[in-house]
Amino acid sequence: MKVHVDRKLCDNHGQCAIAAPDVFRMNDDGVLEYDENITDDQVDEVEEAIDVCPVQAILLASD
Amino acid sequence: MTTTVEAPYFNISDPAFAMHSEAVRNARERSWYARTNYGIAVLQYEDVSKLLKSPKLRQGSARWPEHNGVHSGIFYDWWTKNLLVLEGEDHHRIRRLLNPAFSPKMIASLVPRFQALANELVDAFIDKGRCEFVQDFAEPYATRVLTILLGIDENEWPKIAQLASTIGLALGVTLKQDLWKVEAAVEELYAYAEDLIKDRHQNPGDDFVSKLVLANRDGDRLSDPELRNALVLLIFGGMDTTRNQLGLAMQSFMHHPDQWELLAQRPELGGKAVEEVMRINPTVTWVTREAVEDFEHKGLTIEAGTTVHLFTQVAGTDPRAFPEPQMDLLGEHAAHYGFGGGVHHCLGHFVARADMSEALPLLAARMSNPRIAGDDEWMPDSGNTGPVRLPITFDKRS
Repeated sequence: MKVHVDRKLCDNHGQCAIAAPDVFRMNDDGVLEYDENITDDQVDEVEEAIDVCPVQAILLASD
Repeated sequence: MTTTVEAPYFNISDPAFAMHSEAVRNARERSWYARTNYGIAVLQYEDVSKLLKSPKLRQGSARWPEHNGVHSGIFYDWWTKNLLVLEGEDHHRIRRLLNPAFSPKMIASLVPRFQALANELVDAFIDKGRCEFVQDFAEPYATRVLTILLGIDENEWPKIAQLASTIGLALGVTLKQDLWKVEAAVEELYAYAEDLIKDRHQNPGDDFVSKLVLANRDGDRLSDPELRNALVLLIFGGMDTTRNQLGLAMQSFMHHPDQWELLAQRPELGGKAVEEVMRINPTVTWVTREAVEDFEHKGLTIEAGTTVHLFTQVAGTDPRAFPEPQMDLLGEHAAHYGFGGGVHHCLGHFVARADMSEALPLLAARMSNPRIAGDDEWMPDSGNTGPVRLPITFDKRS
């Protein structure tokens, strides 16, 4: 599965990094970094991140 | 704190201090921040956006009880352990366990009930051509939405509203003298929360509180006291804010009758209406942070412990970010910070967005030409604002 974040929408609130810390993290400048390719056992976590994103900027697609 | 340029100064405790004022707009034109009698105030959009999410700042209310001479007791314990003021992994753990109950899917299932509630409230006054908008709509709507969400008997709403408002006294500078009332209210809301938790343990369903009771992440769960604390925070944080924001929405639309007509004709703009109102006229006029360490922002050294107020309404109308800052439901605007931001971004924002985006178009569809009928009364502009009383008249649409 592949994660995509719409950078035009993303406002770097960092809620995804709380919900799914294995996949999303905030760097020292407060900017989101994330892994595009995730494993099956990370899907639940990423779906939670998708739900909690305040600006709904995260998508998950099969590769 | 050192600065080379003389920054503007505001006394933000002065009841006459106004966010929507020439003085604040002029200050925003010449400086990204102002000094105040209580820390600094950030005025420009870019800086509010950056500092709101900065890891150098933490939520600014953690030590509010102590600042007011309260060091122990039931209110103190509730406040210092709630999600609003927790930081780091303590915060993230609770937030992860609460998140699934607040998901957009969960909230979407409640929308028909929000619509029925709004219609029921409007039915009660529509033929009179007038209402007191706070008492007749905003307060019962905001509170009954919470009772629907929590599964509390809707008839209990006046009691819940009164308890939530009493806890709201804790945010005032008279906390010490009001403490006995605040503590009694926390205790009473705890009793409601405990009953709900006990009931859902015995009769779990697919409702909101059951989701929280059953919340489980990698084997970790919310303890009953943690859940009780969170439910009281939800009532406290969800009621006054929504009531005030609905009143402010009505005020903004009365200043922009063309936008009200547009919303009446195009109810699908309800979501945009909420965003626009919260951008130009938010109830949370500032979000408070406190510097965790010394750091520099645009040449200003902000020392550890400095209070930093992020002025949401002032940022939301900053011409640098909004070249045409007036209300426009059809415009494409940058994000507003009426729900705060960063790790402390409002947990209940999907609920608030969903219930207000149903209420506003429904009100517009049933009332035309709303106008203030006099005798309106408003809270001060600082912190959380809104109407205390908002009598309006209108024409009933046929």
